[in-house]
Amino acid sequence: MSMAKKLQRLKKHIVREEPPASKQEPPEGIRFWDVWESAGAELFELDGEYCITRETHYALDAAHGFYTFKDAKKTIDQWSAFDSYHPLSAKGFQPSDLFFFDIETTGLSGTGSVIFLLGTARIHENQVTVKQYFLPSPGNETALYAKFLQETDYTTLVTYNGKSFDWPQVKSRHTFVRDKVPALPAFGHFDLYHASRRLFKHTMESVKLVNVEKGHLGLERVNDVPGHLAPIIYFDFLERGDPEGVLQVMKHNERDILSLITLYTHISRLVLDERALVDDQTALEVGKWFEASGNSAAAKESFEKSTASRQEEVALDAAFRLAMQLKREQSFEAAVSLFTRVRESNGDRSIEAAIELAKVYEHKWKDIPKALRETEWALEQKLEKEAITCALEHRLHRLEKKLSK
Amino acid sequence: MWKKTLSDIITELRNDENVIHWHELEPIEAKTRPMPIFIDERLRAALEARRVRDLYTHQYSAFEAVQQGENIVAVTPTASGKTLCYNLPVLQKIAEDSASRALYLFPTKALAQDQKSELNEIIAEMGADIKSFTYDGDTSPAIRQKVRQAGHIVMTNPDMLHSAILPNHTKWVSLFENLKYIVIDELHTYRGVFGSHVANVIRRLKRICSFYGSSPQFICTSATIANPKELAEQLTGSPMRLIDNNGAPRGRKHFVFYNPPVVNEPLNIRRSATVEVNRLAREFLKNQIQTIIFARSRVRVEIILSHIQELVKRDIGPKTIRGYRGGYLPKERRAIEKGLRDGDILGVVSTNALELGVDIGQLQVCVMTGYPGSVASTWQQAGRAGRRHGEAVIIMVASSTPIDQYVVQNPDYFFERNPESARINAENLIILVDHLKCAAYELPFQEDESFGPMDVTDVLDYLREERVLHYNGGKYHWSHESFPATNISLRSATQENVVIVDQSETANVKIIGEMDRLSAMTLLHDEAIYLHEGVQFQVEKLDWEHKKAYVRRVDVEYYTDANLAVQLKVLEIDRTKERPLSAVHYGDVTVNILPTIFKKIKMTTFENIGSGPITLPEEEIHTSAVWLELNIEEPEKSLEHLLRGIANVLHHIVPIHTMCDKSDIHVVSQIKAAHTGLPTIFLYDHYPGGIGLAEDVYKRFDDVKEAAKDLIRKCPCQNGCPSCVGMGFDGMDVKRKSMELLDQF
Repeated sequence: MSMAKKLQRLKKHIVREEPPASKQEPPEGIRFWDVWESAGAELFELDGEYCITRETHYALDAAHGFYTFKDAKKTIDQWSAFDSYHPLSAKGFQPSDLFFFDIETTGLSGTGSVIFLLGTARIHENQVTVKQYFLPSPGNETALYAKFLQETDYTTLVTYNGKSFDWPQVKSRHTFVRDKVPALPAFGHFDLYHASRRLFKHTMESVKLVNVEKGHLGLERVNDVPGHLAPIIYFDFLERGDPEGVLQVMKHNERDILSLITLYTHISRLVLDERALVDDQTALEVGKWFEASGNSAAAKESFEKSTASRQEEVALDAAFRLAMQLKREQSFEAAVSLFTRVRESNGDRSIEAAIELAKVYEHKWKDIPKALRETEWALEQKLEKEAITCALEHRLHRLEKKLSK
Repeated sequence: MWKKTLSDIITELRNDENVIHWHELEPIEAKTRPMPIFIDERLRAALEARRVRDLYTHQYSAFEAVQQGENIVAVTPTASGKTLCYNLPVLQKIAEDSASRALYLFPTKALAQDQKSELNEIIAEMGADIKSFTYDGDTSPAIRQKVRQAGHIVMTNPDMLHSAILPNHTKWVSLFENLKYIVIDELHTYRGVFGSHVANVIRRLKRICSFYGSSPQFICTSATIANPKELAEQLTGSPMRLIDNNGAPRGRKHFVFYNPPVVNEPLNIRRSATVEVNRLAREFLKNQIQTIIFARSRVRVEIILSHIQELVKRDIGPKTIRGYRGGYLPKERRAIEKGLRDGDILGVVSTNALELGVDIGQLQVCVMTGYPGSVASTWQQAGRAGRRHGEAVIIMVASSTPIDQYVVQNPDYFFERNPESARINAENLIILVDHLKCAAYELPFQEDESFGPMDVTDVLDYLREERVLHYNGGKYHWSHESFPATNISLRSATQENVVIVDQSETANVKIIGEMDRLSAMTLLHDEAIYLHEGVQFQVEKLDWEHKKAYVRRVDVEYYTDANLAVQLKVLEIDRTKERPLSAVHYGDVTVNILPTIFKKIKMTTFENIGSGPITLPEEEIHTSAVWLELNIEEPEKSLEHLLRGIANVLHHIVPIHTMCDKSDIHVVSQIKAAHTGLPTIFLYDHYPGGIGLAEDVYKRFDDVKEAAKDLIRKCPCQNGCPSCVGMGFDGMDVKRKSMELLDQF
């Protein structure tokens, strides 16, 4: 049986996820160039390959959501007055050192997933420049990355989930053309997805960029192409060559990048300026962020303020965390007073507080009866974890033994 | 109590009237060559510490050939030191140049784990900074990056290579740039559908290597099969040197065929093999003789195990007898392997899981419950018994199936015949297209690029028309959102499996297994009784659309048996052998399969106690078939019966000759075939597109026919029995008539 006939017969077994066929010749030259041109696109050619770039400018006093780009610039400058460590600190940076970055791909991670759009934005002295690099069809990646790397001298990337998606994907695609284009430079990386999870998770179910925009940045997407349609639009473009859909994806990408500027501004303000904090929970999250990144001085300062919160849960969580810091600093008096407050509240952290109190009473102040009282109190509560009960019983026995000596 | 020695029992066995054949293998002395002088000093010292001073001749030849840049396939019996055939050249290379990398492929995760511990012992002994890692589904994400970047030796399996490593090759640059050796252990396991997939995975692997500028050598090891060189060449697409000068020593071995006595003369029913195995094993075990017992299914292992533990518990205590099969936790298996090596465990009952190269030391006795299904497999199992010095006994206890009876009554077939050939068909169009997609996903396809021996331009153009590939600048680029490797499983016979979900406990709903789609139609329909590890489940709902079967534990007195309506349509006849009164054809067919009803059958009496309809959509596959056609337009009524009997015999004989699983080939007899109206027997590959089994039967039809006649002739029944052509009737001489009929083809 001939191959073609066999293929037709076996078609049902071969075709699974693919859409039905339509005959189309491969593109010759660049189709619809007039449409591209009127959208402000430019052509870059290299050794028979080409890519399409597009630059857009925004005045500094243009607003994107709650902030103007001037606000963004001001906020970046404000980091210079911030003296201790924070993962997103831009101290010592010029605004133009930050490189806001987002890509569009034909699929999820894996070597067959191609990046067809690299989008970047930078804040210059007088304007914001968005520059996008578009892959007109697979097989032009040398041109794409040559152009991209030639114009890119970044020190710090700002992305949304770029640490686990965008940048590994760029590294993967770069591997294919690494012999023909410059190497990828080393850089710092602010991933705002992780920051958003810290600060906004308590306010929304899913910390997707569109949700953060809507909930915190005063942005609503109108006529936006959803990101998950980007691959289909690109494949359709490969077939038909009409850039209409792709230009909408580029618009979507541009919005994403501009939102990164606004989001960075907003998050920085929450960290730098307590007046920006509208609710006590977020204030506590800022403190926890300092705590997790090892800046205990700033964390302590923040927790101290949160202990005064009228939201009891926030105040108690802050009090407990502050007490742990104080304990570590050997300030036992202050720590015990805070632990006692938490324990007496009968809240979520009461049992932990009682255990901490028992530890201080037993080991530091050698006050066995008090330690015993705290331990017994904890055991009377409803304990969920077997391990905690075990540890407490162990402590109880030891304390009883010490007492009987 | 006075204990019998192994030779006492051998003497007793010689007088046992159920022993129908005794074969003795003479001891063989070791043949060695001195270790080559240029071996790295650290490596030499490490080997000497393990009491390896000289190399067996096959190890020496393997090393020499690899040094000369050749690809090799080493054929070695069990326990002949085959791992050194690859570890020696690999370690030597890395010792010389620490940038070098090697990739080891094992058919299962467990084997990779095993080899890692063995290899790491040598490396530790060497005191060299050589990192070897396994990379599989169990590898923790925390060390994956380290494995990718720093692993000198990466041990994995073809499935992982297919779905995780190749589609992410940009994360493995340092491996692929420096890859010197690809080791394929247990080569003989890569046959049939699985082997055909793996051959394509290796084509993809070679493409990626050449993209990164490396061209690794292949080092393969295989158990004894008829065509190791051919298989290795088909699988790797590279020329191979065969290394088969085995130099390992062997003690005396007694190979005994044991046929249980007939208990019902007219029906030719023999005593159960399991009962005999229990009795024989007990004799060895209670005399403290280390014994391995093989059984063909997991359930059978459990049954034999509990019997033997019961039988010997007063003599030696049950903990020293253990079971071993897939489904045990890795930790448990490691403990059993160690117990066997150290001698703490006296007996083990195993499925063919222990056929593969897991190190359990050498035991004294091997008992097989029935013929393992192939000559190669039998020798593998037999190899588990036999120390380098001293005697060993291998007993094969026949069951009453036609294959078993044929083998034990024709010892020549087994001892004189070469082991089977392992066959793959890497050009199966469905498999090929699947892997072309994966390959294009991994790297764009050049217009003139080859992928195996066939011109694939047509396929690439087809995929382009289907908008899976995009053609541009002389290359075909992947242009689809999906990740093709996830939809392609290397092991299932059909592409989508049905997942079996146990919902006996609402709080603990869990997946207990999966089954290929075609089998699921008859075994997992609504209300079917499904047996899993000896436990009965009833299917509450088969969700065909989502390929899920929901089952619940039950305890009932019946099992279910489904009827399938099978229709065959001949699409094209490729070749024909004309006979005076018949014809044998080979070609393409469509098979339509529709389950109709199921019956509930009482377990004790086999009465039919109820039935119900099965409502499932019809399945259709296109495949290759060979069919035997009689030129009789008005057949006698008895012919239908005879054809069914011959079909039964062929279904038993063909897997022996083509080295496939019984479920890979199906046999159907029809008194009036749809396309001709003539009496016909079809044998077809049970896989879309065919995997070369029917073709093999067509080519070697005369051998198959003679073997079928031989089976019927030698069956000791009087006039047909379930072990051969089925029961006779109306005083007709079924056996003679069947043989006469076979002669016409």
